[in-house]
Amino acid sequence: MPGQDMRLTISTSPHLHSQDTVPMAMKDVLIALLPVTVISIYMYRFYAVFLIAVCMLSAIVFELVFRKVMKKEATLFDCSALVTGLLLALCLRPGTAWWVAVLATFFAVGIAKELMGGLGWNRFNPALFGLVAITLLAPLYVGINPSFALVRPSFGSLDVITQATPLALMKQGAFGQLSLSQMLIASPGGALGETSALALIIGGIYLLYKKHISWHIPISIIGTVLVVSAIWTPAGIAAGIPLFHVMAGGVLIGAFFMATDWVTSPITTKGQIIFGIAIGILVMIFRNGLASTEGVAFSILIMNAFVPMIDRLTRRPKFGEIAFGEAAVPAKPSVSKSS
Amino acid sequence: MSVKTFQRGVNVPHYKEFSEGQPISTIALPSEVIIPLQQHIGAPGQALVSVGDKVTAGQKIGESSAFVSAPIHASVDGTVTAVEPRPGFTGASVESVVIAVDLKQKEPQWTKRDHTAMSKDELKAAIKDAGIVGMGGAAFPTHVKLSPPSPIDTIVINACECEPFLTCDHRMMVEMTDALVEGAKLIAKVVDAPNVVFGVEINKPDAIKALQSKISGEKGLSVVNLEVKYPQGSEKQLIKAVLDREVPPGKLPLEVGVVVQNVATAIAVYEACHLNKPVIERVLTLSGDAAYSPGNLMVKIGTPISHVLKERGGARVAEASKERELSLPPDLVGKIIMGGPMTGWAQSNLSVPVVKGTSGILLFSPTMVTETEHSDCVRCGKCVEHCPMFLYPNYIGQYAELGNYAKAAEWGAIDCFECGICTYVCPANRPMVQFVRETKKEIAAAKAAK
Repeated sequence: MPGQDMRLTISTSPHLHSQDTVPMAMKDVLIALLPVTVISIYMYRFYAVFLIAVCMLSAIVFELVFRKVMKKEATLFDCSALVTGLLLALCLRPGTAWWVAVLATFFAVGIAKELMGGLGWNRFNPALFGLVAITLLAPLYVGINPSFALVRPSFGSLDVITQATPLALMKQGAFGQLSLSQMLIASPGGALGETSALALIIGGIYLLYKKHISWHIPISIIGTVLVVSAIWTPAGIAAGIPLFHVMAGGVLIGAFFMATDWVTSPITTKGQIIFGIAIGILVMIFRNGLASTEGVAFSILIMNAFVPMIDRLTRRPKFGEIAFGEAAVPAKPSVSKSS
Repeated sequence: MSVKTFQRGVNVPHYKEFSEGQPISTIALPSEVIIPLQQHIGAPGQALVSVGDKVTAGQKIGESSAFVSAPIHASVDGTVTAVEPRPGFTGASVESVVIAVDLKQKEPQWTKRDHTAMSKDELKAAIKDAGIVGMGGAAFPTHVKLSPPSPIDTIVINACECEPFLTCDHRMMVEMTDALVEGAKLIAKVVDAPNVVFGVEINKPDAIKALQSKISGEKGLSVVNLEVKYPQGSEKQLIKAVLDREVPPGKLPLEVGVVVQNVATAIAVYEACHLNKPVIERVLTLSGDAAYSPGNLMVKIGTPISHVLKERGGARVAEASKERELSLPPDLVGKIIMGGPMTGWAQSNLSVPVVKGTSGILLFSPTMVTETEHSDCVRCGKCVEHCPMFLYPNYIGQYAELGNYAKAAEWGAIDCFECGICTYVCPANRPMVQFVRETKKEIAAAKAAK
């Protein structure tokens, strides 16, 4: 054809694209996790570095291997394996054995993500799936009995990591040993990612600022935990308990980093609020009603399963499908005032 | 100052600074114009001339007896050299009249008439005769739009120009305010509408000021300030913003008593009624980050893109030298778009002519050319969050990708007007608009097969 210039790009509209990409969003999640990672390393030293390294490395290996075996192209560039690895490490308690961490990563990246079809098709949050899998399969090794960490004495003093978690202290009624300000800034006890409420909140605000998450899920989870823990107060309760509940255990990391996972949370804002409230209620049932650990992880995973249903029930009408009061169709032409 | 808008949508960088300050200017005539016989939605025109015929500017050269169609006119004095299919901006070939332009052009003599004395039917006939179509890009014949079966109470003039880069409507509002207001009043007269509302985005304060001073004291006319947000200029979103009325899915604005017309269309209506002048030229924006000399140009219909680029320089070379580069080397120009960047068409053939619906010619440097590779949907929900039609582009894309077009339609593919927001915001780079088009095509084919 005359005038044809083959060097020009032909593609369909739109010809502009926002700067948002999946790898960039994942990198921002890594950045948002940096404060709590730093605090956990400060708190647990080599135990933290060791777990983070094991989880992130094995996440990369499992992703490569699974995709290779399934004959799919590698998707490492999307950085989602790194995010899953880091999140998983932050869910583990210091002193967890290396093979437990590898097993957890196997379940997270291999089973929950890649076997389900890869990023976008997984129904359950991979990191939490891995955590719960080892909690059920190897309960003695994930910190329920902290003395098991003694198998790795080469890492140095264990005083810090064998400390009772704030939640355990709450259950024992030992409120005197809890300090709200310490829990906010930095305090040992529990998983790597449970060492600083403030660090998690800073990370969450970063994700909100970058518009990778919206406020609906975190705020509805935190709000529900606050409200339910204020109303539902089993025997032996001190003042200020709702704030303890929010800052202890996995509520904050769950609310900002786990429940907000794009793939495993509802699409609509209405659905996200329902999702968040349900998680908050479940967390309090696990904490007050059942004597189990990993209540946040179980709560989020349970609600992950309900996401397709929530999406269906909160399907919104199309533009113009519902008439907006009298403004919809005028009965008679009317003359407006002149400008 | 109250500013109105619709729900959802997205803020796209508007890139108007390239050309918004450039007054409308003309360019020299090309040696040849290529005038497609179909520049509108509806039946194509039949050629009224044959090879060797002498034609003059404004002479009717194509027409159809169908109601939904618009006549085509010669844009220059010249000689018909061919009546044959030529490549159009969509990539498909269109039957076109090719005219060799006479070196000596007579100044066209339009016969002025008193448009205020014309009856509704005379006005509508004049609009039809002039071949006016929606000049915002949709190119729907205006006389059809002005034959509504139910009463209309408001004419909304679409003066948003929400597409990035484009500034031709803006310039017309500032420089041709009288013609615009007169045209809008004529449109209102044709459909007996008592109200005329100009919806303008607030990034055009000079246009708002010009309109306001022009219409002050006139009964039934008003200017509404609109938020700068894409797609503010989409009919349904514009009506929602201006009048808070929602056009039901699958229905036209007349359902809620409204007719929407674009700025350039209203001016064309005025010129048709007052001057008896058909659509033989239009104002378009030449812009883009790679354009040598961006501006707003009055261009004859049928002018090839290559001629516009030759007249105004092609790509911009180094900022310092400002030298013209006509050969469009690939390291300077990666893409040429006809229309706006959100809904326009990428071109590879520079002989494609400017038509009635061409609002812009954009030159993108390779850095502006976005990647086309995409990954699986990650359910981030951004497309759902921003879709101005409240659809589910994520599901439409996933189902269409799997070939399940019935399901894709169920999630709203048919109601999509392809504004491009879903694709714009998608972090996985998914070409949702393409999936929507596929679905529409497949559903139409399935219907036809029944």
